Order: sequence, then structure tokens, then C-alpha cells
Amino acid sequence: MNLRILPAAFLTAIVLVSCNSKEEPASVSSEDADSANVAMTDSSAIAEENHAVSYNLPSALQIASVFKKSGAAYLLNVTNDKSNVSKYNTSNYKKALNFGIYSADLAYCLSNKKYQESKEYLKACKDMGSFLGINKAFEDNRIPERFDKNISNEDSLIKFVTHIQRQTDVMFEENKQKHIKLLALVGAWTESLYIAGEVYAKDKNKKVRNNLLEQLLFSGTILKALNGYKDTEPEMQSLISSVSRIRSDFDQMPVVAAAMAKDENTDFNSLDIPDTELLPVLQSIKALRTDMVN
Amino acid sequence: MKKIALSVAVLLGLSSFQTDSILCNVGELETKAGNLLDPYKYDSSELTKIVYKDKETVSEIEVPLFIGEKYRFVFELEALPKRVEVQIYNKSKESKNRKLLFSSKAMGDKSEFQFDISLLRTAYVDYIIPPAQDGVHAGCALFMLGYKLK
Repeated sequence: MNLRILPAAFLTAIVLVSCNSKEEPASVSSEDADSANVAMTDSSAIAEENHAVSYNLPSALQIASVFKKSGAAYLLNVTNDKSNVSKYNTSNYKKALNFGIYSADLAYCLSNKKYQESKEYLKACKDMGSFLGINKAFEDNRIPERFDKNISNEDSLIKFVTHIQRQTDVMFEENKQKHIKLLALVGAWTESLYIAGEVYAKDKNKKVRNNLLEQLLFSGTILKALNGYKDTEPEMQSLISSVSRIRSDFDQMPVVAAAMAKDENTDFNSLDIPDTELLPVLQSIKALRTDMVN
Repeated sequence: MKKIALSVAVLLGLSSFQTDSILCNVGELETKAGNLLDPYKYDSSELTKIVYKDKETVSEIEVPLFIGEKYRFVFELEALPKRVEVQIYNKSKESKNRKLLFSSKAMGDKSEFQFDISLLRTAYVDYIIPPAQDGVHAGCALFMLGYKLK
């Protein structure tokens, strides 16, 4: 009998148990994970199991679709430069946020029928997706051809892009990347806010401003969601501070705050809000967006 | 002694596999839920791991919405070994004066169903999870959100 084997065996067993308990078998191929060099953090899986409350944030496509209904004009050069993609292949944090930013740019172009730009942003999303280990969502090598084939039919094109979005959601779930998915949604939300702010600054369309305010309301849920994953990435605290700042600026808009105190379902169309009231929150959005894309 | 140590290691490994792995086929659940979305467009989905405990528990999903837009909430509960009740409210479970908008009790034994909603800024989906029974420990519930494009 070799008694020295016993502690070693126990140690092995404990390691096996702890690995198994933290990470379920992921269906992503090891090739995908290796090529992407993505750290599928255990802390994400643990947080997921312990949450009594979870948060379902709106997609970039939905935000862009509702934004378009406000009569928002299309602005050139407001979206992030597609050639920046390689710049973001650094931390999981940067990759995820900018995947979301490009998905919002794609949705903005698509909802404005800018199909060539949409195709290029879809390519940017695909490239960012490969950095995140969700290659399978974009694995159809005929994406450019399928995009071109549907280009004359807006509904088919939106259906096609929606299908890819669904695939990415499934991949994030299967890869145990819930906090990465959350970061991507926060990136998309920030980009959508930034675009709305820029469009409003140019057109002074009240419906655009009201849509911007509706988007700002999502910050409450976003903060709660981010706080649930605050230890997953080193940059999380800084992001939470920036979103808190945006929320605080929104809460301090006197006309909006007074109306919301009376009725939380206030129709923003009924409010007369001076532009000076909106300025601090627009500046905070711009600062966060600049930090994300640089 | 070697054999004992090996057995312990194998047993520990096996027990962790049985208790901690909640096997859900996300893609399959998504496809089934997606069949109930039309004519709404897919927006997002949330897979919730349901763990049955000693007593009844509640797991909540907060769903922010654009007020005035039309939405469809789809639920796919096929991967649950024991049925949970789905309730939808206008306020969170922490709030005292919240209004129940939907309960799946009326759905009977159906494991897939939908609920259309509008005029709300935030909806709260509550899974009312019954106490555990022998051999029933965990499963998955899928929530899918659809929106009207035009």
C-alpha cells in the first residue's frame, strides 16, 4: 500500500469536481475556443447559477428599429470606423464592447437601407465574433452572397441578420459567456445612444430626443445587470461608474425628473425640455463611447 | 489503498456530474420557442437554470421595453422535470403594490405558450419554482422576446 497516493488521488478528485462544477460541457469546438483565445471565465458561470434575478436587455436591432420610427435621419460618419476591428483584439472587455458597437452600427445602417455599409458592418461583426469564439454563428461562408441575394428585399435582409443574431445569442449561451453577451449589449446600447445624440444635435427632432430618453431609461436595468458581474473583468468597475454617471445626469434633468416623480409612465412627447438640460447626459454618453472605441 | 483512492476519485467525479450539470439543448429550445414568435421579430432570449430547493423559490427576469411598442413573450418549459408557474408583473418581486398581468396557470400542462404585451416600460417575469422532489433537482426554462417591426 502506498499511502502517499491517497492525498494525490483526493487532490485529483477535488480538481475534477471543481472543474466540473464550474463549467458545464460546452458544445463549442476546442478549435473555436483556441482560435479565439477567449477566456471563458469560471466566475461568469458561478454568477449565473446564483442570480435570483436576471436581465433581458434589448438587442441593437430592436433599438435601431424603434429609433427609425422616430423619424431619425441617417448621418454619415457617425458610426465607428470599420478598419478599427484589429485594434480591439486585446482584452475580452474590448472585444465584447466593440462587437456590440459594430452590431449597433450594422442595425443603424440596415434600418436606413444603407445596404453596402450594412454588409461591411456585418463583416466587422463577423471578425469581432471570431475574436470572441462565436465563429459558428457566422460559419456560413456564403454570408456575403446571401446578403447580396436579399438586398432588394428589406424584410428578407432583416430576417437574415436576425437569424445571425439568434445564432450569436445561442453561442454566447453555449460558451458560458453571459457576461460577454452583457458587455456586447452595453456596447450596442452606448453606440445607439451616441448615434441618437448626434442625430438630435443636428436635426433637433423632438421624437428623436424622446427616443433617446426612452433608451436612457434602460440604464437602470443595465446597472443592475453589470453589478451582477462586477468581478468578471478588471475594467468592470470603471464601466459601472461611467453608466452610473449617465444615469445620474439623466436623473438630474429637472423637467424629466419632475414628470417621472409624478408618473413613472410619463410620455416624453408631452414635455418641454430645454436643450441645456440634455447637455450633461449627452457629454457623458460621448465620453463613454469615446473610451470604448479608442 | 490505490483502488480505494481511485474509487473515491471516480465517485466524487460522478457525483459532481450528476448534481451540477444541467443539460439543456439551448439551440433546440430556441427553435421551438421561435415557432411561436411569428408575426413578431426575434429580439432576445434568456435561458434560466431552474434549481429546485427545499421550499418554493422565485427566479425573476427583468425585461426593459419601449413604452408603446408591441411585444410577445414566449416561454419554452420543455426542459423542466417539474412544472413551474410563470407570472408576469408590472413591478419587481420586491415591490408591494404590483399588478399581475399574466399567469401560466390557465395554460394547464402546456410547456410552450406566449403572451402579448404593450404600454409598459419594464416587465417582470417570475418563475415560481416548487419544492424539490426525489430525483427532481434542476432544469431549464427559456424566455424569448419578440417585437413588432412596423
